[in-house]
This record gives sequence, C-alpha cells and structure tokens, in this order.
Amino acid sequence: MQEQTIEKPGLAARLLAGETAALARAISIVERDGPTVGKLLKSIQPHLGRAIVVGFTGPPGAGKSTLVNAFIGEMRSRGKTVAVAAVDPSSPITGGAVLGDRIRMAEHTMDAGVYIRSLASRGHLGGLSASAARVADLMDAASFDVIVLETVGAGQSEVEMAEMADVRIVVSAPGLGDDVQAIKAGILEIADILVVNKSDLPLAKRTVSQLNAMLALRAPGDWNVPVLSTNAVDRTGLCDLADAVDRRAATRKMKGPREALGGRTRRLLAQSVAKYVEHSILNDTGASIDEVVLQLQQADIGLNEAIAKTLEQLSESLKNG
Amino acid sequence: MNKIDKPAKSTGPVAQQAASDAWQQNYDAMIGEDKTVKNRSGIKVDPLYWPADDPDGDYGDKLGFPGTDPMTRGIYPTMHRGRTWSQRQLIGLGRPEDFNARIKKILASGASALSMIPCNSVYRGIDCDEVEPEILGTCGTILNTEEDMDLSLADIPIDKISIGLNDPSPFTMLAQMLVVAEKRGIDWKDVTGTSNQSDYISHFVANHMFYRLSLTGARRMLLDTATYLAEHVPNWNAFSIVGQHMQQAGATPAQAMGLTLSTAIQYAEDCKARGMDPEKFLERFTFFFDISISFFEEVAKFRAGRRIWNNLVTERFGVTNPRAKRFKFHAQTSGCDLTRQQPLNNIARVTVQAMAGILGGLQSMHTDGYDEVLSTPTEDSAKIAVSTQNILKHEAHLCDVIDPLGGSFYVESLTDAMEAEILSVIAQIDAEGGMFKAVESGFVQEMIGASALEFQDQVDSGEQIVVGVNAFQEDEDASARPILKRPPKEHMARQVENLKEIKAARDPDVLSKALGDLRKAAQSEDLNIFAAEIDAVRAGATMGEIVKVLRDELGFGQPLVVA
Amino acid sequence: MNDVMLAPARVLVTKIGLDGHDRGSRIIAAYLRDAGMEVIYTNPWQAIDAVVALALEEDVDVIGISSLATDHLLVPKLMVALNAAGLGHVRVVVGGIVPDEDEVDLLAAGVSKVFHPGAVREEIVTEVEKLAIAANKERPVD
Repeated sequence: MQEQTIEKPGLAARLLAGETAALARAISIVERDGPTVGKLLKSIQPHLGRAIVVGFTGPPGAGKSTLVNAFIGEMRSRGKTVAVAAVDPSSPITGGAVLGDRIRMAEHTMDAGVYIRSLASRGHLGGLSASAARVADLMDAASFDVIVLETVGAGQSEVEMAEMADVRIVVSAPGLGDDVQAIKAGILEIADILVVNKSDLPLAKRTVSQLNAMLALRAPGDWNVPVLSTNAVDRTGLCDLADAVDRRAATRKMKGPREALGGRTRRLLAQSVAKYVEHSILNDTGASIDEVVLQLQQADIGLNEAIAKTLEQLSESLKNG
Repeated sequence: MNKIDKPAKSTGPVAQQAASDAWQQNYDAMIGEDKTVKNRSGIKVDPLYWPADDPDGDYGDKLGFPGTDPMTRGIYPTMHRGRTWSQRQLIGLGRPEDFNARIKKILASGASALSMIPCNSVYRGIDCDEVEPEILGTCGTILNTEEDMDLSLADIPIDKISIGLNDPSPFTMLAQMLVVAEKRGIDWKDVTGTSNQSDYISHFVANHMFYRLSLTGARRMLLDTATYLAEHVPNWNAFSIVGQHMQQAGATPAQAMGLTLSTAIQYAEDCKARGMDPEKFLERFTFFFDISISFFEEVAKFRAGRRIWNNLVTERFGVTNPRAKRFKFHAQTSGCDLTRQQPLNNIARVTVQAMAGILGGLQSMHTDGYDEVLSTPTEDSAKIAVSTQNILKHEAHLCDVIDPLGGSFYVESLTDAMEAEILSVIAQIDAEGGMFKAVESGFVQEMIGASALEFQDQVDSGEQIVVGVNAFQEDEDASARPILKRPPKEHMARQVENLKEIKAARDPDVLSKALGDLRKAAQSEDLNIFAAEIDAVRAGATMGEIVKVLRDELGFGQPLVVA
Repeated sequence: MNDVMLAPARVLVTKIGLDGHDRGSRIIAAYLRDAGMEVIYTNPWQAIDAVVALALEEDVDVIGISSLATDHLLVPKLMVALNAAGLGHVRVVVGGIVPDEDEVDLLAAGVSKVFHPGAVREEIVTEVEKLAIAANKERPVD
C-alpha cells in the first residue's frame, strides 16, 4: 500500500477524544505538510482556543530543557495538562538531527497528562513557524491546557516561532560568554518574560541587573516585562514564573476579540505576508518595483505613496501568476 | 691474539648529522609512499628516533631515579623487581556463595588481591527483589546486605588481603565489609584496599552505569567518606580516580590521562577546602586506567602521568611528603580493543596490552578474558587471563629491570610529547573552571564524543585495521563460540527469597531509627553520612534502602547525556 | 511501489535494563543523523513501558536498543508491549554484546536485526533505512 494519503475523519475524531497515538500521527502528517493537512486542520478548527501557548527560547547552555521540565512540574501541580513541542535544528548538510531535549524531561514520560514531542526544523526556511503553529493547534484541539514550544537560539526563525506563542519567555544564564548580548535585539523585542536561569551562579544577579537596565531603555507599554531568577534544578522561582505566565496570558486575551480570535493564526498570517512582500521587493527583477524604488530615491514620491504603489504592483503580479 | 684495528670513530655531531642525512636520503628513496602516522592521541610518529631528538636531555630533570622526583621511571625504588604488581582480577558472580567459590580458586592460582564487582542492579541502587528476574546476577554478585558480603568473603582473611571494591557512591559495599570485619573481630586498621570507582565525576561523564547519586550529592558523600576513613580505616584508599571509563567512552589516551588528572586536582581541592591535609590525603589517592593496544603510546602515557602528577602536587599543593607524590595505579586491559570475530586472537591482544601496562609501571592489573566481547567471561578464559600475567612475569622476565624502556629514544620522545598533550588537556579544564564545572556544562562529554566518532571513522574506513573485523576476516562457525552459563533461575529466586527472609528478621524499630539518622545526616552539613551509613548496615538496612534515603535527600537527577 | 520516505525516518535510540554504557548508542545516533534521519535520543535505564510511551508519542519508525550486558534479555518483553500498544509496525533492532544463542531468541521474538561489534556505518544505516520504509508502509491507515 502506498503512503496513506487519505485521512479518514477517524484520525481527527480520535485526536479530539484525547488518543495519544492520534495526536502523534497528526503531528507527523502536519510536519510533512502533505495534501491532507487542510482537511485535518479543518476538522479540528472548532475545538481551538482553549490552550495557552508558552514559548521558551534562548541561547544554548541556558538550561532551557531543564527549566521546561520544572515548568511542566509546576503546571502539573496546578492541575494543568501540558503538551511540549521541542524543536531542534536539522543539519543543513544531511537533513538529519539528534533530538535530545526530552532527556531533561524524562520524569514526565509516564504521566498521561503530559505529551512531549521532539521536532526537527527540517530546513523549512521560514515555514517553521507555520509548522509550529499547526502543531500547537493540534495540541490545543487535543485539549491540553498549556502548550510549550521550546526552541534553541535567538535568530530569525526562533523569533518567528516565538511570535506563535501567547507568552514568550526568553531564557538566559549567567556566564554564557556574551551574557546579555546573547539575547539579540530581535527576540528581546517580543519577549514577555525574561528568565535568568542557574540563579545559584555568582554572576546571576549581575545578569538580572543588566537585563533590567536594558528594559528600562524601552518605551513603556501595556506590559512590564519582568526579569525573573530561576534555578531549574531545585525549582526556585518556578512559582513566580508560572504566575507571570498566567498574568501575561490573561492580558493578551483581554486585548479583545482580535487576540482571542485566532491570535496565532493572525500573527502567522502577518509574518508570512511580511516575508513574502519583503522577499519580493528585495528579489524582484522586474522593472515595476525598480521604478517605485527610483521614484522614492529621487523623492518624486513620498514613502506612503511608494508603499501603496508597491502593493499594487505585487497584487498585479499575483493576479497574473 | 690478533687485535683488529677498528677505524677511528667518527661520531662527532657533524659526522652524526651527516650520517642521519644519509639515512634520510636512503629512506626517502626506498620508502615509496610514506603516509603520516599518528597515534591515537594525535601525536605524529616518526620512522626513527635518535639522540639528536632530545639534545638538551637532562637525565636528572626529566627522568631521575625510581622513587624520587620526578618519578618518571617508577614510584618505588624497587618497582616490580622488589614486588610485582598485584594480580587483581575482577570477579563477580550471581550469588555470594558462587563468588566465594571463584575467589578461592583465583587466589589459589596465584592472584594476590581481589576485586569485587557487584550485579548491575547494585549499581542502579535497587535490591534484588525489585529487579526484573531475567537480568539479575548476570554480570556480578548480588550484594544487598551485610550477610551477602559475609558469605562472599567466607574464609577469606580480610586483614591479610588487599581488597578492591567496585563500589561507587554511597559505598554500601565498603560499609557492609567494615561491619563484617568488625563482627569477625578484625581491627579496621588492618583492613587494606581501595574503593574502586569512588570517582563520581568519571561516572557522570562516561560510565553512567555507576551513576547513583546527583553530582553534588556524590561530592558530599565522597568527602564525608574520605574524612571518616582517614580517621577510622587509615590504610584504605578512599580515592580511586578513574581514567578507564573516559578512555573506553572514546577519549584518546592523552585525553583520558589529562581528564583523570584534572579530576584528581578537583578532589584534592575539595579535600583541602574541607580542611584536610594534602600531605596526608594525597597518600590515599590511587588511579585506575585503561590499557589500549597502542603499545608504546600506553607506556609513554603512564610515564608521563607519573611525572606530571609528581610535579603537579608539588606545584599546586606544596607537597613534600614523597608518599603523597606517588602515582599509584591499577590498570585493566581494554575490552574495547577486543573483537567478537576470531575471539582467540584476543589472547594475543590482552598480552600486548598487559605488557604495555607492566612496562608502564603499574601497581596492580586486571587482564580481560578472551571472550569478554561475547558475554561475561567464563572460568576458563579468566584462568588464561591470569596465566598470561604469570607468563609475562616468570617466563618473559618482565620484572627483572625497572623501567626497561627508559632511555629508548622513541619512548622518551613520546613520553615528552604525551606530557605536552596531557598538560594541554589539563589547561583546557582549568580554563573551564575545573573538572566539576567542565562536566556540568558538558564540555568533557563533547570532547570525548568527538574522539569516539573520529576513531570509529578510522575503523570504518579501514584506516585503522582490526584483524578479523575489517581485514583478515574469516567465516566462523558460530557454534565454536563459548556459551556462558547464566546463573540458574532457581538460584536467583532463592537469593530473592533470602533477602525477604533477612528483611523480615530485622528489628523494625532499630532499623527505622538508623534510617532516620541516616536521613538526618544527609540533611545536615555537620554530620558525617558515612558514619550514619555504617550504623544503618549494623541495624540491618539493605543497600537499596540506604540508596533510596540518600537519593531522596541528596538528589538523583540524571547524568548529563550530550547527544 | 513507493519506496521513498516523504519525511526523514524517525528512530528512537535508547537503552533498557541496568547497563549505562552509551558510547555505542552515541555513535549510532551520529551515523543516523549523518544519513539524514531524525534520532530521538534518550538517557539509559528506560523501563519497558517508557519505551512504548516514547515510541507512541514520537511516532517513530524504528527503535534501536543498545545493550552491553544482559539487558537484551528484556527485549522480548518489549516486543510484546509494543504489539499490545498498536505499534506492531515499528521495527526494532538491537546492537551490542549479544551471544549467538540469544540472537536466535531475539529474532524469533520479532526483532528485525541484531548488530554485533564490528558492524560498520554503511551496513547499519542501510538496514535502518530499509526498516524505516517497511515500518511506514505498515503503519495502520489513519
């Protein structure tokens, strides 16, 4: 028999009923992004919106997996079920990957209220956040209360994936070489909570101060980003972290129907459109965009007009295929 | 008598250089394709060595005499000529009484010391009544209680024989043995031996099987035990610092030595921080190494190790007591070099490895059985392993001369090169903040993993030939391979029953108090855990019960597995 | 016949029982990654039901058990548990020190292949790839 391309409604139904094998299978299907994905996502659509998605990212060596492990424990003690998607990079040369994040979460293997899935980035080159969003949707439909999206690094892909989360946590640890520089500007922009892990290390206090100093330079918004100190091994600070997550999730939902209604889908769309437009403008070889650039350069048109003209041009090209 | 006039010698430096150049020319002309040769540690090996390789060679500085700085040639003035190495063969069999029977045979056949290895379940810290029956007792002796230890050592004079216990944190085997000695009326001052594998760092890094307590918990446990032993069992070596695991996990010989010495530095610093005197506690440091089949490299590794340790303890700890500078080590021939294919060839391999260890100046040795790669060794193969040592000792006369390879142009050059390589590893660990931090962060694990993969690639590509595996293969009759008899299921079932009976016969109040005291000791930095542990054994606590309490209090965690 | 995998093969590399030596499993993980597969790598001492849970959650194609001492004696129990959990399509290979008479038992219990010391990269990778394809074909229709 060839690869199972026809998904009977059975899979979605089983997933919604909480069957682990169905969720696992659905994630595999969604990862491959085959022709059946649309149907699957459609089936689960009415059941979304319950879970909060919490993103953990940060440089390697910060102890993210150990922290996630402690976070899972804290959530479980609060009676919440947790699903984790741990993403690691695939080798750009071979396409393979060694996925070892769940090693640190071994204590939860036999807990039926915890589901852990190791994912490789698979060279999606920009489609990774779409994949992450879909996996989160599946976990949401499977009725998990909290979904953890764990990624390593702080580069462009990680920033984009982090935007799929409702609450974004950036983890660092003292003495990782660059200290706060390891938290690059991009990820800092969208972080909701900053965590300094390995709080037992002597430099921890200094890292916390440095981060607070950086945040003070920001214009105040509707959410004050807290800098929390944790020790993932003895669980210090986990209670505060969990409380902060709750508070942030609540404020996000409170923003109104815009956020509540397909928050991450909206963000995914915004991200994808932006990338498409950027890619087109920078790589466009046709004369049409060049002309707009020239006009803008020569100040024949203002920026607002240039934007409008560009979008028109792109729209035309899309129509014409 | 006719005297033949020999031509006048022309051995001045100019003439020698000319001769060397001439040889080089001839060599280049005849050699054809000459590949660069590197040993396992990555050191380039030349076709020939001669005095010009070490023009400033200072015998006193670099070699000296056995038993004095810098100890390169040996740690005792007499070395094997005075007292040969201990034949310390690992023994571990299912039931205590089986172990006892085999020990007696081995001692009768010439071994002078023993090394007890318990069942893997003991390493996991669980009593036999909680283990899957299929795998119980297949790799070592079940030692859950003081009674088990007593049976294992029935009729063995504990005060006359040096005993190596393969007994990682929290050293339940040692606690059991001390209680047995006490009951037999033996003064603990007469108990000699070593806590093999007390090196928790090596277990965290490389042999996870021995990993029983969290890294920080094991740190405290080792220090408490060492402190207790220094006072009550002064002739026992608390520290057995292990290079074997790291080398078997893939570290190169130079890396294994460097990492082991770094671990020793870490323990010495920890002891010093506790207020212990280096001049005293360093006397109780012993080492345990792998011997690979890279013959000259291993000899050089041990010689360099001796020299480095001598200099290191002088420089870093200001030690003057000569007994505290001795690099005492036990070594085991490496099972990683042995093959499943044509297993009898392994006898030759073990012989070469053993020779390297002997010529490297070890104090105690275990030689592997030729069927090591097939299963737990049989009695016959264990006998051959001991005979191998006897042949090398008595027929090849390897004990007659101290450091016989000393002075070889190659060996001295290689010793220097290995020393440089080892020191660079130590420097890297220093830069990471010491061995404890370096293993917490995964730095050491990555280093070892990279070397393992590199070596595997060399074997896979055929660059490193392994006879019978990637060259000189033969079709083999699988039925010719020895079949290991596993302990009969009834024996193991009986062992489990025994345990249940022993547990039932204890005074529950006494036991409960002892375990409570053990817990308190673990909770308080001011109490000595090992002292409380011995009391617990006296009260009848089993290994599993002790380990459980200590894991609760000191943590278990997981060894950091770097994927 | 569709013999091409649409996605990288997913292989669980783990150890059961009491042993903790992991040099072999780390090397295997590297081999498989270099061949384009995704390896879910765990710590040693996994209980049988934990292996089943992992295989289920990670939707793996192949399970590789690394065994040094006598832990391979537990594999037949694992095979039974996998079948009971609906994971009969998942292929199991064992690598390490396995006496010949035990190899016979393992194969009879449903293990696809036993690798002994001396097995080379190409051999292992080719076999695992084959098994992953077979596992995929046999995966129950969703």
